[in-house]
Amino acid sequence: MADPVFIGVAVLTVGAAIVALETRELIYGAIALAVSMLGIAGFFLLLDAPFVAMFQIAVYVGAVAVLIIFAVMLVRTQALFTTKEDKKRKGAGIALMLIIMISLGALLLASGLNGQFGNFNDSEAIDFREIGQQMLTYYSPTLIIMALTLAGSVIAALALARREDITTTSDGGEEQQHGRTD
Amino acid sequence: MASYPQNFRFGEFVGSLLWLIFWVLIIVTLVGLPLVFIVLYYVPLPPINGEVLTPFLFLTMAVDPSRTIPIIEHFMTTDLFRVAAFPGFTYAALIAAVTIFVERKFLAKMQLRIGPLYAGKIEGIFQLIADGLKLIAKEIIVPSGADKPIFWAAPIAFVAVAAAVVALIPAAPGYVAADVDVGLLAVFAILGFFPLIALLFSWASNSKYPFIGGLRALHQMIAFEIPFILSALSVVLLSGTLNLTGIVNSQIQSYWFIFFAPISAFVFYISSLAELERIPFDLPEAESEIVAGWLTETSGMIYGLIQLGSYIKTYALAALFVILFLGGWAGPDVFPQEIETPIINIAPLYDPVAANATLWFTLKTFGVIMLMLLPRGISPRIRIDILLHTGWYKLIVLTFINIFIALALIYGGILGPGGLLVR
Repeated sequence: MADPVFIGVAVLTVGAAIVALETRELIYGAIALAVSMLGIAGFFLLLDAPFVAMFQIAVYVGAVAVLIIFAVMLVRTQALFTTKEDKKRKGAGIALMLIIMISLGALLLASGLNGQFGNFNDSEAIDFREIGQQMLTYYSPTLIIMALTLAGSVIAALALARREDITTTSDGGEEQQHGRTD
Repeated sequence: MASYPQNFRFGEFVGSLLWLIFWVLIIVTLVGLPLVFIVLYYVPLPPINGEVLTPFLFLTMAVDPSRTIPIIEHFMTTDLFRVAAFPGFTYAALIAAVTIFVERKFLAKMQLRIGPLYAGKIEGIFQLIADGLKLIAKEIIVPSGADKPIFWAAPIAFVAVAAAVVALIPAAPGYVAADVDVGLLAVFAILGFFPLIALLFSWASNSKYPFIGGLRALHQMIAFEIPFILSALSVVLLSGTLNLTGIVNSQIQSYWFIFFAPISAFVFYISSLAELERIPFDLPEAESEIVAGWLTETSGMIYGLIQLGSYIKTYALAALFVILFLGGWAGPDVFPQEIETPIINIAPLYDPVAANATLWFTLKTFGVIMLMLLPRGISPRIRIDILLHTGWYKLIVLTFINIFIALALIYGGILGPGGLLVR
């Protein structure tokens, strides 16, 4: 009944996520996180959404994972792991996760989505061109709001990077430029 | 003179050879042939000349050309051929090998040197084989304190990611390993893995020069990724598709996009030089500043793999330039429609369209590769702040100019569906 590719991708995603949490080496955790995100891109491919899958890879693996690895490399890792984790807390966390996942799954099964599942398999996948067209016509206010939010955050980032209350020496002027251009 | 043992007897020498042949025959008969038959039993074979192809007929194909040609024809349509041979890895690796040799000779001629000369007598054409043998024979030294799993995996991942880009490149109509609907996006998504690999490898080397080089590679590749994608965007606007085959077809229907998007082509060329870490953007490997950058700790075949990967990447980006701006495989017909060969009739294998397309695609790709090699002979390395400034401020603005030109062309009714210049 279950698709073997789906099971493979699911095992990869969940397994990499568990490795990302459990490993003692931060750098391996970051790599496992990237693998987990690749697995999510695999889910998008299985759901006939290659456009989203490619952006998942380009943004999450190509940018976010690189950023995390970059940060991990520049941080002294020993300082972060001085306390041993509590077994009780771990068990409670796993139990909480299970409860949330089971209740979410039960909600989805109880909702109307489950009844249509058989039809979803046969129905035509929605083309990304169609989504783009809808985005620019009927849903254009959403697009405008998203664009404004992104522009606002970029301007805020530039304003933070160009702070003039930090005095720099003539030598540090270069550094300032780095911080801004990155 | 090689020395030989004192009690050497020619008869014993011949006897030992005979023993060797005897054992080889025994092993081939008892192990090799059954193994071949087991494999052939599970591999689906095509019907040939109206009869089902059995493993026996398959093994005897070497003596009967009328059986060989259909089998080859069948395998040329399989995915394995697409991935491993023609538009895939072998073709790309061959072009990469030729590029390495041509680069050395070309740069030597530009600088009034001779270049590789001795290996192979004629202009040193076997230099690459000699280099390859040297790299294979050399010891691979893993630095102490290196992160071994990443250190070993990164070079392999580098080649694999470069080959994955090649799999998306169509070299002739129908000859592409993965003809996906979002091909161009997939190329950029896969190219995004390179900074990750460079950074991980430089960190795993546990040495300061690789780490500086890796950070530089990250800065540079991320700074140039945005103009890289934006420069391809005007082509997507003009052709109305993300599929690489579709982009080439829309250029065959109108004109090459380099005439409509010259600024984008220029930005794409500059950004691909930066992605490839070629001079003048070779800061991650700046050999006069940081030894060899993120490749400092590579030795032997690890260096060989990264070189192979980077030259395959060179081919992939040059091919992408050809597909986006130079009309892909479009070109006048030079091959005859029918050919006749004397002894073996290879006419069923002959496809004039594919041959023509391959010729023009290869020629154009090589032209672009030469253009990418050219700056190495004439340009110095640029400073990192100028590099970042170029990437973030100048190139992005330039691409936007061409995007607006493309939009004007489409809304003015010159290109796009039903445009003036569309045939």
